[in-house]
Amino acid sequence: MMPAVDTKADFDNAAKADTIAVSVKDVDMVYDGIHAVRSASFDLETGKFLTILGPSGSGKTTLLRLIAGFQRPTRGEIFINGAAVSTVPPHRRSIGMVFQKLALFPHMTAAENVAFPLKMRRTDARQIPARVERYLDMVRLGGYGARRVHELSGGQQQRVAIARALVFEPDLLLLDEPLAALDRKLREEMQLEFRRIQRELGVTTINVTHDQREALVVSDEIIVMNGGEILQKAQPADTYRKPANAFVANFIGVTNFLDAPQGGTRAIRAERVQIAPTHAELSGCDTIVDGIVADAIFEGERVVYEISVASMGNVLLRVFDHDLAAHGQFVAGTAVSLGWNARDVLYFNP
Amino acid sequence: MRAAKSAYPLRWRIMDAMEAFAAFIWPARFGRAIPWLMLAPALLLVGLLVLGLIQIGDASLRTLDTTTFLMSESYTFANYQRAFSESLFAAIAWRSLLGALIVTVITLILAFPYAYVMVRTTSSITRKLLLIALFLPFFIGQVVRAYGWLIILGNQGMVNEALGLVGVAPIRLLYNYWAVLFGLVQYMLPFAVLMLAPALMAIPEELEAAAGSLGAHWVATFRHIVLPLARPGLVGAGLVVVTLSLTDFAMPAILGGGSQDFIANAIYDQFFRTSDQGLGSTLALLLVAVGSLLVGLVFTVFGAGTLAMGRARR
Repeated sequence: MMPAVDTKADFDNAAKADTIAVSVKDVDMVYDGIHAVRSASFDLETGKFLTILGPSGSGKTTLLRLIAGFQRPTRGEIFINGAAVSTVPPHRRSIGMVFQKLALFPHMTAAENVAFPLKMRRTDARQIPARVERYLDMVRLGGYGARRVHELSGGQQQRVAIARALVFEPDLLLLDEPLAALDRKLREEMQLEFRRIQRELGVTTINVTHDQREALVVSDEIIVMNGGEILQKAQPADTYRKPANAFVANFIGVTNFLDAPQGGTRAIRAERVQIAPTHAELSGCDTIVDGIVADAIFEGERVVYEISVASMGNVLLRVFDHDLAAHGQFVAGTAVSLGWNARDVLYFNP
Repeated sequence: MRAAKSAYPLRWRIMDAMEAFAAFIWPARFGRAIPWLMLAPALLLVGLLVLGLIQIGDASLRTLDTTTFLMSESYTFANYQRAFSESLFAAIAWRSLLGALIVTVITLILAFPYAYVMVRTTSSITRKLLLIALFLPFFIGQVVRAYGWLIILGNQGMVNEALGLVGVAPIRLLYNYWAVLFGLVQYMLPFAVLMLAPALMAIPEELEAAAGSLGAHWVATFRHIVLPLARPGLVGAGLVVVTLSLTDFAMPAILGGGSQDFIANAIYDQFFRTSDQGLGSTLALLLVAVGSLLVGLVFTVFGAGTLAMGRARR
């Protein structure tokens, strides 16, 4: 059942142990006939904030649950701080986890929830109240300890869940889409909160989400997954600017796919396309096409146009326009000129 | 005019007429009476029960004249005096109460893992098998089941025959206290499982996973998470089992063989053997009182559990 790990890999792993917090090696997960994770491998350095980003069914949650220890990989091995953990049950791994539905214990107060992992780890009972208070303070819930879970707002419950996952100073913090259910404003606030706490404590963190904005905002590194496979692991700016393939380009940001020379794909980001009433008003573009406005969506700080381009087989190109003062908003049916630079075009091999 | 007609088809006008007729014989303001009308059959039944209880209360205050076999005309507390002073009744009451408590504890201990596996199993076949095994005994009445145990546990029963094969002399397995309790536990198990399952279903599986990731092994998870959250189910199941066991008739009668009478058997004897309606009524009323007291005690100490129907739960 367990794969033989060759001695060289073991040796390499031991050498990297001080800097690599989590190492996933060639992990496969098959259950109910579904290949949920396919030969996934990555290393995560201690203290980094990693986000696994992907659509639902991409295998990102399965990968997280494998790291947490709720499931065992069909093949491959996971190392935490250099030690193989496949056979280690969750309660023996030093992992704090914030669950999608938070999983706070409803029959306990906020403080009892936060104290639970300390009690389970047989922390000296005299130290527990002070530790609990310190972590409640850290998530800005000082004085809320006596509240029952159902007496707290959604955002406060989030904070209790974070404090509970961190109070025992775990080696690793796992976030299983805990922000998915929040409204946008609260979600953005909590994203920054996660970032702040993670930087403050320096705890290695793996976050799972399908929200590309969240991934870009909070992470040191992003892994993009689809169909159980890891497509790219890179820093946020590189993930955005140099997407590894068409799927990543399409999943993160708004991307226009132009054509497919020799089976490859050429694409351009919506914000890299200029729009103007005539050719003359485009500046510094080496590619210029004419189009008709098919739709204009006013989003406040910008207008998103869908432009039908006859010379490209009436393909609809999406264009962001922030510069409204120069020419005002175009209405549907208006003839416009689009331009971009060849160096901004992304090319993906077939 | 024609356009209006086609926009308002005949079918609609017939419906309008029917609605108008319905409103004539049942005006909307009668609507408030509907809940009470729907309650009426139940209220009627409960009312009849209360009437019966009054009748029993009346009978309990009359003594049986053993010369004429008629109930006395005057009221007296003599029956209550007998019920409290005769050691036979004290023994029966004690046997029933203790039996009901033992049966409840054992049943809950056995029912909990059954309900837990039934609720948590990921295999639908396992769940179906457990459900069938649970419901099958319901189709076999209590009396038939008790007779089944007579056949299995009797002196020439299957168990003793199996023991005989390995050279063990027949053991008297029936007609003692433990036989009655055994029969009762077997009878009560499905009730307890059915009362527990919804309470366990209401505990999100994620809570157990969370407890695990926070450092709790399964025993600690069970003690600190599952058990406290299952309390409403345990209270509900416990109440049902304790009241049904305390008032049971068939199991003590058949598996106890007359030597292990519970209160219901004593009441039966008073009514149908000695024809002392007075004493029978007294015992019946005392059983109602003890049962209500027990339930009231559990309600005040543990809350009403699942029987609170959500209003009292937060």
